[in-house]
Amino acid sequence: MEGTKHRSAKRARMINDTIVHIVLAVLAFIWVFPIVWVVLTSFRAEKGSYVSTFLPQGYTINNYVRLFTDTTILNFPKMFGNTLFIAVCSCILSTFYVLTVSYCLSRLRFKMRKPYMNMAMILGLFPGFMSMVAVYFILKALGLSEGGLIRLALILCYSGGAGLGFQIAKGFFDTIPVAIDEAALLDGCTRWQIFWKMTLPLSKPVIVYTVLTAFIGPWVDFIFAKVICRANADYYTVAIGLWRMLEKEYIDSWYTCFAAGAVLVSIPIAALFMFMQRYYVDGISGAVKG
Amino acid sequence: MKKKSAILMAAVMGMTAMSGCGDVRQSVPEDGEVESIRLMVWAPSEDQSKDSGEWLQTCCEAFAEEHPEYDIHFVYGVADEATAASTVSQDPDASADVFMYANDNLTVLTDAKAVAKLGGIYEKQVMEMNSQAITDSLRQDDSLYGIPFTTNTWYMFYDKSVFSEEDVKSLDAMLDKGVVSFPLTNSWYLPAFYVGNGCTLFEDGTVEEAGVDFAGEKAEAVTDYLVDLAANPNFVVDADGSGIAGLRDGSISAMFTGSWDAAGIKEILGDNMGVASLPCYTLNGEEKQMMSYAGSKAIGVNATSDHMVASIQLAIYLGSAEAQKLHYELRNVVPCNTQLLEDAEIASDVLVAAQNDTFNNTSILQPFVSRMSNCWTPVENMGKGIRNKTVTHENAKEQTQAMNDAMNSDGI
Repeated sequence: MEGTKHRSAKRARMINDTIVHIVLAVLAFIWVFPIVWVVLTSFRAEKGSYVSTFLPQGYTINNYVRLFTDTTILNFPKMFGNTLFIAVCSCILSTFYVLTVSYCLSRLRFKMRKPYMNMAMILGLFPGFMSMVAVYFILKALGLSEGGLIRLALILCYSGGAGLGFQIAKGFFDTIPVAIDEAALLDGCTRWQIFWKMTLPLSKPVIVYTVLTAFIGPWVDFIFAKVICRANADYYTVAIGLWRMLEKEYIDSWYTCFAAGAVLVSIPIAALFMFMQRYYVDGISGAVKG
Repeated sequence: MKKKSAILMAAVMGMTAMSGCGDVRQSVPEDGEVESIRLMVWAPSEDQSKDSGEWLQTCCEAFAEEHPEYDIHFVYGVADEATAASTVSQDPDASADVFMYANDNLTVLTDAKAVAKLGGIYEKQVMEMNSQAITDSLRQDDSLYGIPFTTNTWYMFYDKSVFSEEDVKSLDAMLDKGVVSFPLTNSWYLPAFYVGNGCTLFEDGTVEEAGVDFAGEKAEAVTDYLVDLAANPNFVVDADGSGIAGLRDGSISAMFTGSWDAAGIKEILGDNMGVASLPCYTLNGEEKQMMSYAGSKAIGVNATSDHMVASIQLAIYLGSAEAQKLHYELRNVVPCNTQLLEDAEIASDVLVAAQNDTFNNTSILQPFVSRMSNCWTPVENMGKGIRNKTVTHENAKEQTQAMNDAMNSDGI
């Protein structure tokens, strides 16, 4: 009697597991499907944006080669370099702003603290591109809308508002015991030293998160780059370049290169994530030890 | 005391502001004979690429040589004809002195007061070089706003091994012999059938108050025809590049597109590539001529340019027979200069012949009045309805009326 009950419970669990796994497999397939398709398209030998078969009829790496060699009309390597430079600079600046602002709001007490947090909350409710036109005219008035200064203008755009996005990092800092700060203070640390030598080493997961979001923002942004670069093709970012490949004059011959470009764009983000992933674990174990 | 220092401070601030101004507005010294100027020129990137012969740079340098009275520093930027108008209108001050735009964007430019009128001798010069039809595409309220350099429309590309020159005069004859692809769901193409049967847009395209007439029996008959057409096994809807892909794998033999796809099609069909103006279609036993939308691409001059005379002269040079000829040789841009079209070599080019035939005979001027912007989505929806079979012979009447109502309304 007991044996059958036990077996039926086991079988029920097995059926349950099977169903769950089938559902997960289907979801995983749906999720991965478009990515696989883009990767396959990037190696497709046939030209054109429309194909009647799912799998390419022939494979080639020429799409990648062409991206880096056929640079007279759409200079992909240059765009890639521009974007990388802008994204790296913005990433460093934004990360610094976010972490320092969060630390101040978490640890220091000053008159404007509450009003600042409220203001940031309300400003954060508006989409950033609402200010796009105003930002453009301000940059133009400062003479940053032409020539090499466009890069600086874009870096300013992407990192300037970073101090408003402190919520998550501040939340994390709040969980680190204040006693650690007090102990450091007693040992003669300044505020900056506490931040740099005590808090940051304990906050690796949130640093990783901040760096990743600060990098991805400028890396994939289209709208600010489009408004600020205008006709200055030398300063185009990859987002603009990829968009141009889909215009009616280019789409037929550039579509597979577009897919190759899309694959390449994901590489720095993936590399950054893989490199930083281990700190997620490290950071958490460190916090437990502390 | 406090007040005094505040006033002092304000005065100092005011003075610095003024002196700042003075520094910026330093006048350029004039040395009488040679004027040193900076001209910004925007053109598509192909016009500036080494691989296709640097048309823009070559022409600009030739212009500079012809005009020793200027010492010109050219600044080149990339903006293709389709998007230049919106980029220039965003901020005319910081835009090119001379740029290229497609004429359907003319109202965008005039609304922003970003494009200069051409009058007097300049207007006369442009009129002498071009046909009335093409300069009309750049006129608004009787003022001319640009120098045309090519026509902009779509026509038919076909496989000569499948269709004879006689076949391509009738769509129905073609459908009997081979597979034809048409962008039924694209509202730049679909109106060709309606306009062919007497439907009108803003009378001749310029009378905004007149509205759109895509109603009544003439339009219903076309909708009925299109329902049958879509059901024809030899008819394929061209969407998302399926037309050119079909030519490539041989599943279709004719498609409708413009000069931008010509190089790709030439590569696929080789010597079998045929190009022709639009065919007729048979509606209730009568032959009706399909009529495409046509426009032009033109060179415009920024209304806020600091060097207006030089800019206009450069624009006229870029639209001259000489520059158009080079444009044709380097990039196959179909010329529109009347003298150049008589040139034997150019006249024998099938692409040029087809594009100009279409412009002159089987097209209407694409209206660019502001209310034209309400006309795109309803037509596209009609095309999609026909493709998806939600528009049928039974409801063709209501659906056509609904399309007409939507085209005439300002709502979304």
